[in-house]
Amino acid sequence: MLNYIIRRTLLMFPTLIGMTFIIFAVIRMAPGLTTAGGSFAPGMLGAHQAQLAEEHFMERRLHLVNRNGKPIPLVMQYVNWIDRILHGDLGTSIKFSEPVTKLVMQRLPVTLTINIISLIIIYLVAVPGGLLAAIYRGRFMDRAFGIGSLVLYSLPVIWVGSMAIGFLANPEYLNWFPSAGLHATNTSHMSYFQYVSDYAWHITLPVICLSYGGFAYLAKQVRGSYLENLFMDFTRTAKAKGLPPSAVILRHVTQNSMLPMITIIGMTVPGLLGGSVIVEKIFSIQGMGQLMYQATYARDLPVIQSMALVTAAITLVCYLLVDIAYHAVDPRVTYD
Amino acid sequence: MTELVGNLTLERPASTPPRSYWSMAVRKMLRPWLVKLSTLYIALALVISVLVPFLASSKPYCLMVRTSHGWVTRYPLLADLTTRDDLSFVAAGLVVALCIAWRLTRGLEMLSRRRIRWIIATVLISAAVIGSVAIGSLHQNRFDGTDYRALVKSGAARGAIFPPIPWGYAEMEPLSQNAINQLPTWKHWLGTDRNGRDVLSRMLWASRVAMGIGFVSQAIALTLGIIVGAMMGYFGGIFDLLGMRLVEMVEAIPTFFLILTFIAIFGRSILMIMIILGVTGWTGYARFLRAEFLRIRQLDYIVAARAGGLPLWRIMFRHMLPNGLTPVLVSASFGLAGAVTIESSLSYLGVGVRPPTPSWGGMLNAAGNPATVFHWFEALPPGLALFLAVLAFNIVGEALRDAIDPKSLS
Repeated sequence: MLNYIIRRTLLMFPTLIGMTFIIFAVIRMAPGLTTAGGSFAPGMLGAHQAQLAEEHFMERRLHLVNRNGKPIPLVMQYVNWIDRILHGDLGTSIKFSEPVTKLVMQRLPVTLTINIISLIIIYLVAVPGGLLAAIYRGRFMDRAFGIGSLVLYSLPVIWVGSMAIGFLANPEYLNWFPSAGLHATNTSHMSYFQYVSDYAWHITLPVICLSYGGFAYLAKQVRGSYLENLFMDFTRTAKAKGLPPSAVILRHVTQNSMLPMITIIGMTVPGLLGGSVIVEKIFSIQGMGQLMYQATYARDLPVIQSMALVTAAITLVCYLLVDIAYHAVDPRVTYD
Repeated sequence: MTELVGNLTLERPASTPPRSYWSMAVRKMLRPWLVKLSTLYIALALVISVLVPFLASSKPYCLMVRTSHGWVTRYPLLADLTTRDDLSFVAAGLVVALCIAWRLTRGLEMLSRRRIRWIIATVLISAAVIGSVAIGSLHQNRFDGTDYRALVKSGAARGAIFPPIPWGYAEMEPLSQNAINQLPTWKHWLGTDRNGRDVLSRMLWASRVAMGIGFVSQAIALTLGIIVGAMMGYFGGIFDLLGMRLVEMVEAIPTFFLILTFIAIFGRSILMIMIILGVTGWTGYARFLRAEFLRIRQLDYIVAARAGGLPLWRIMFRHMLPNGLTPVLVSASFGLAGAVTIESSLSYLGVGVRPPTPSWGGMLNAAGNPATVFHWFEALPPGLALFLAVLAFNIVGEALRDAIDPKSLS
């Protein structure tokens, strides 16, 4: 087991290094990087920020050009960049004029919490749904579930999100939910229970928007995986020895069908992270997605490259954890 | 069974031409009515996206204007077509011509058919390329700001024939008319937006952006995916190892973050968005084609082709690709749905196509700040059109996947 974990972890590093190559190359292609402030539209930034951008580019130039004014070779630029990252320095944001590390540390927990809650809800809905569809295969329940999940999968988040706010969080129609943010303004006066319920009230709509699209894919996989195991020899044996159907399904079939679902956690994570850009924008949640959106809008290159790097690293770590979990559940799986 | 070896004939009536695996899959897919409906919707959106300059424009097809020489006939709509319109006509014409040529040559003998099709395709494609280059260099986009409705009303022009929706996508009602955020009226069938522009006209124009970006970006992604996937699957070894690592790297960065990174750096013109969606979306296709090529590589007919000394490209693209392409094309249907969604999401966020070019996502965003003033009648049509387009692509994809699934052969 330990051997497997070590080998699998080591296998992650070439991918991570390759990813830094890609991000470095893409960012280096940005026009106007070597000329101070040249590429910024003046109207987009205030005077103070424009000056900061200028300073940033001077700083940039220091990374590109050494003290004697000679250009640093591309390889050394890359090495220096990696060196700064390893020291926890992701650069300084132009828009927020704060260290990117600090920004990420502020916003990562927000996004991760919402994503993990969404992931749990996706599993809570899709696994029983897929199981029911597999048991009633070919009948009305199965059809309805298939079509329903396809429709949910096809519903664009931007439409659902703005309609949900427009009708459910609007004083003009129904004012059931708050339209923005994660907390009420007076959180300091709340008891713990009030705080949690306030939080739950605030994240209801965002979590619904983030999770409904994930049902379809997972439910389809669950259905397929259950169907496969429903006709296995061990299922027939379990039935033949007189176990009640519930025990056959819950104990024998489910345990064997759970394996592929572990892998799907890993595949869902990049989609959820990407989806959080839209959801956080719609619901004004100050998370990673919102940060990425603001950075794109302001062409805040240090933030952008760090975001690509951080989200990619999160995804890779998720893949790693999933693989290890898979190995722990099913020792037949080996690293090859 | 008696003449199994001596006189082997294929059991096919002579009248029906042979069918490929792909055409059989398409035929089988098209059986359920829901899939037929989805295909119709996609076809309709495509036709609208090509012909939209003739459907929704403030310029009349033709009218007679009074000049010093008397009444002169003018064609303002034709004169006002942009280079982009012309190019989309050329592209659509090319596709239609190729389809007709394929249909007409279906009954021919195998070998001559192949040769004739090659010649036709070469001629048509080169004509289209030359044509678009000529259009691109010769055509001058003019800006015609004449208000033809006022002209007709004042009596200076007569006999004007307007398009069915006589509003341009960027044409605003004058402020004095108080025609902002209107509910549907007889004048504006779907109402007006916050700038007093006709929503229906913008919807139709937005379908061009959605379909154009969807199809072109997926064509780019398919090309990249086929090249990389074919190399990985056929050569294996170091190609496979490096290629798969590349695929993993691109896939590990969440798609939306990757796309936003590219947009921040390379800008957001329509062409750039097409390229960016193509460059970030090829990994799935490469994976599928690699798996297919790994399987096909070991089949007898490929071994025979190799033993026969056929050149490499011929083995790869004539013998292997047609047999391995079907699953890739199935996933292209889902890719189209994804590209359309991403395009409108980008426009919704304000980092997609630039206004005033309409996009379904941009129109949703323009429906007002949902928390305060929300004009649901402006958010409903673009959202519905987007949803139906994505749903149609997904339904077709599902049906195609079922059709090529060997387990569900019937």
